[in-house]
Amino acid sequence: MNPRLARLLTRLYPRAWRERYGEEFEALLELGPGDLRTLANSVWSALWEQIVRTRGDNMEQQPESFVTMVKRPSAFLPVAMSVVCLAMLLGAIAIGLLAHNPIHRDPDEGAIAHLFQLLMTIQMPIVLFFAAKWLRRAPRASLRVLALQAGAWLAACAPVYLLHL
Amino acid sequence: MTHYSDPPLLVLACLASGPKHGHAMIEDITQLCGARLGPGTLYGAIARLEQLGLIEPLPPDERRRPYRITSAGLRVLRAKLTTLSKFARAGLRRLEPFMKQVRA
Repeated sequence: MNPRLARLLTRLYPRAWRERYGEEFEALLELGPGDLRTLANSVWSALWEQIVRTRGDNMEQQPESFVTMVKRPSAFLPVAMSVVCLAMLLGAIAIGLLAHNPIHRDPDEGAIAHLFQLLMTIQMPIVLFFAAKWLRRAPRASLRVLALQAGAWLAACAPVYLLHL
Repeated sequence: MTHYSDPPLLVLACLASGPKHGHAMIEDITQLCGARLGPGTLYGAIARLEQLGLIEPLPPDERRRPYRITSAGLRVLRAKLTTLSKFARAGLRRLEPFMKQVRA
């Protein structure tokens, strides 16, 4: 294969991978045929390596588990915000029930509604940050955390939707 | 369906006969089972096996780096091949009646 093409294909891989395997991989490509099958195989493998990294600068790092992942602030903060929202709503509903006025609406929506909107909105960029940072590095664990975040978000929204608050 | 393709297992089996670099592995695997691994597939398997400690790199020979199988790799290879062998024997036994019908 043409050395230029071999270099170009090697550059498709993540930097950490190239630092470890780049030179030998390039040498292997140069030795082999530059046919379409080799090109497709190299491009596909490079793209896959970009998504699910097997190699990097930290070879000793253990795969991220769900428990270690969920301890990261960008993982648990959105869940905590949703839980706070849900607790506020349930608290307000309980107080309303005790006062025989289940759904009390202030003309300006009230402090609880404002807090709810604020917390539910603020967590969006945090979730996006988490997904952008961890989805490629540890797809399985981060997908589970994202599912947890989505579940907590939906649980917090459920009373608003079901009770037309 | 004519070629067996489990890249990590093929790499382990290939290295069982001694250390090899990438190009030699591709040639050896082609002879071993008829499957010609693409360079990306080969290095995907090498990276995973190295991460698992089943193979290890040796000092580079110019731009090429040979790899050798570790003792853990040998154990995994043996276990996988034993399972495959049992599976193949059982599968062939089940095929025998059909093969007799075909011959008859």
